[in-house]
Amino acid sequence: MFRILSRRFIEVAVFLLVITFISFLFVRLAPGDPVLTILNVDDVSVTQEQVEALREQLGFNDPLLVQYGRWLFDFARLDFGNSYITNQPVMEMIAGGLPATLELSFGALIVMLLAAIPLGSLGALYRGSWIDQISRGVSLLGAAVPSFWLALIFIDLFAVRWGVLPPMGRDSIVSALLPSLTLGLAITGVYVRLLRSSLLDALSNEFIRAARSRGLSEMRIFFAHAFRSSLPPVMTVFGMSLGSLIGGVVVIEVIFAYPGIGKMVVDSIRSRDYPVIQGYMLIMAIIVFVVNSAVDLSYRYLNPEMRIKERKNISWR
Amino acid sequence: MSKRYHILILFILSAVLLAACSSTPAPSEGQTKKKSVNLLFNFAASSLDPHVDTSYVSLRAGITETLVHLNDTSLTIEPWLAESWESRDGQLWTIKLREGVTFHNGKSMDGAAVKASLERAMKDSLAVKNALRIQSIAANAHTLTIKTEVPFPEFPSELVHPNTSIIDVTDANYVKKPVGTGPFAVASFTPRTAVDLVRYDGYWNGAAKLDSARFSFNEDANARSLALQSGTADIVFRPEVETLSNLEAIPGVKVESTSTFRVHQMTMNLERKALQDIHVRKAIDALINRQAIVDTILRGHAEAATGPFPSTFSFAPDYPDKKSGLDAARAHLEEAGYTEVNGVMQKNGEPLTLKLLTYSARADLPLIAQVFQSDAKKLGIDVQIQLIEIPEEYMAAKRDWDLATYSNLTAPRGDAGYYLNATYHPNGALNFSGADNDHLTALIDKLNATVGQEKRSVIAEQIAKYVDEQVYNSFVLHPNTLVAYKSDKVLNWVTSRSEYYMLTNELDVK
Repeated sequence: MFRILSRRFIEVAVFLLVITFISFLFVRLAPGDPVLTILNVDDVSVTQEQVEALREQLGFNDPLLVQYGRWLFDFARLDFGNSYITNQPVMEMIAGGLPATLELSFGALIVMLLAAIPLGSLGALYRGSWIDQISRGVSLLGAAVPSFWLALIFIDLFAVRWGVLPPMGRDSIVSALLPSLTLGLAITGVYVRLLRSSLLDALSNEFIRAARSRGLSEMRIFFAHAFRSSLPPVMTVFGMSLGSLIGGVVVIEVIFAYPGIGKMVVDSIRSRDYPVIQGYMLIMAIIVFVVNSAVDLSYRYLNPEMRIKERKNISWR
Repeated sequence: MSKRYHILILFILSAVLLAACSSTPAPSEGQTKKKSVNLLFNFAASSLDPHVDTSYVSLRAGITETLVHLNDTSLTIEPWLAESWESRDGQLWTIKLREGVTFHNGKSMDGAAVKASLERAMKDSLAVKNALRIQSIAANAHTLTIKTEVPFPEFPSELVHPNTSIIDVTDANYVKKPVGTGPFAVASFTPRTAVDLVRYDGYWNGAAKLDSARFSFNEDANARSLALQSGTADIVFRPEVETLSNLEAIPGVKVESTSTFRVHQMTMNLERKALQDIHVRKAIDALINRQAIVDTILRGHAEAATGPFPSTFSFAPDYPDKKSGLDAARAHLEEAGYTEVNGVMQKNGEPLTLKLLTYSARADLPLIAQVFQSDAKKLGIDVQIQLIEIPEEYMAAKRDWDLATYSNLTAPRGDAGYYLNATYHPNGALNFSGADNDHLTALIDKLNATVGQEKRSVIAEQIAKYVDEQVYNSFVLHPNTLVAYKSDKVLNWVTSRSEYYMLTNELDVK
């Protein structure tokens, strides 16, 4: 047990080290730095000497490895630094925005599940029929429509014309409905198609024929056998796309003025606010790692075959 | 699926539906309706810290105030939290503070509090430290004695800067609840979404007419326009130009277009061989069809520029009339020794090719670049446009460009010193053209040593004229700020030219 845990810990440490180093390199190698933003050159007269002095003071003239080493040393002491632009502690900024982004992401996932499961299931159950055509049409439309356009259409309908939902902000749970709906529908298309094809594969399995020959009802066969065994590939994509979902809510956050971290990070990248970018990459890496571990665990629950194989492997040892 | 799952799903759906159907209860009889407005701004702030936040939300939302105020009508500075200021040598300043001013927590704003506030601003913001150049501050009751590092005549103008706002530094929740002296105190703040404000009854200049206000943010222009249409917002900054006719068609909505202190310019790289010839620079200047750009790209919401400063400033000179258009540009190029051969403008067999930088952070700049490229083509000049991300970075680090569309604030605090120093002094951080002219530098140095607004205006005018004669950069237009608001609800709204002052104690609703 101790060996497994220590191995897992080393894996996580190496993973985080690689991710933070790569992100550090990418950001530092991109042209520009935050010096001009810190000095607010658009509004305050500064000299080139002052610009250079600040660059030197912040250590931007040091070799990249030295700069990364400095960040790593602070990170080892759990000091993530302060934003160059706002002076706020990085972790405080991320902690302030993360709940809203997670809220939006999970809201979108609920919308996606409510739309994708019926559409994907019906498409598979009535393959080739008009129901299937509608399901495929909806998934195609979901993938084709840009989310910013969908957002503005929804604001126009729900806020301007019908006045039933707020157009922006985060004053109550109601405020999350429109952005979640927009984001959820934008990602639904992929899952409808994936679930449909996965269900069709599952329905062609031998154990389904065996279940039919035992006289089980079609509904029972579908939900208890086919649906469950079709989930692993969907879960794989889900795990892979959750990171991009959390990182990809920027447009929605901007249009709905939702106080998440997506927009905060885009602004940080634009102003080269290195500590914030590094902190964000670290948190995102941890989230992706946790989600992927959870997906791995869910396979064992969804796929009995995997559990049996694992038990056999253990008994052979 | 088991029964438990069915019940769980039904429960979640019911909760969501119930929440969606819930609404704010209407005020019961006997309750007076609270007066409030929602202003929707186009930049989002993550922090309200008045000394650091470059969206200047604390000042704009009426939470904080500065020692000196910029009068948007006369474009001159005037007392605010400071009653008066004086200096004989431009280095030792005596500032008398207004008495009877209190912070939102009831504490008196005295010399010690102002000193602490300025010191904290300089400690936490290098920009403020560079702007104020203060060496020492001494406080005595309601008088401050400030010594600057060098003679610094424009010091009072710099005290207009929003990041010099006066706050009670003993109340350290700067990011979420700064304690200022303005007509509104912070009730709550959601970063990047909104700040909710309540009236501060002890405001020194008369309590606000509004009970509360909301200063909210949305960086999407279409969403801002929709917010006004839905009734969520009462005042909206910079709605999409394309939606203006729709907004104006809404009964009770008024759109104001007000000139600002910004200039869109064509920066010229004087280190490039072709541009070292003044006639080529004059040709480029003549090629810019300013009025057409104002009418088409900005749909009339701008003022064609004759120089860096909007014509309403006292230091904006009357420039001599200049011929513009293709013929005038051709004549200048002929003087420079260029001739058009087979549709190509060339000199000694070398075609005139210009690399023009532009960036998309200001949507109209790339369009201005394209208009210029198209007009230049008519003269046989090949203009290659390159889109860059951070103009300041690129222009300073690489010198392989000839022209750049750039946007500058020219007199943000009613004084020309900032722009002229940053853009034309050899040490200026925004001197991308590489201007290094002894006469020009001497004039700027003279301006930096001159005390008194009138005298400074005369020198600033001389500099602007000289820059115009030498054609160091071309000035295209001064863009307007657009504000749409419900004139049937909002009273006493004034669109500030400096864009510093928005929610005031005079703002009211019907």
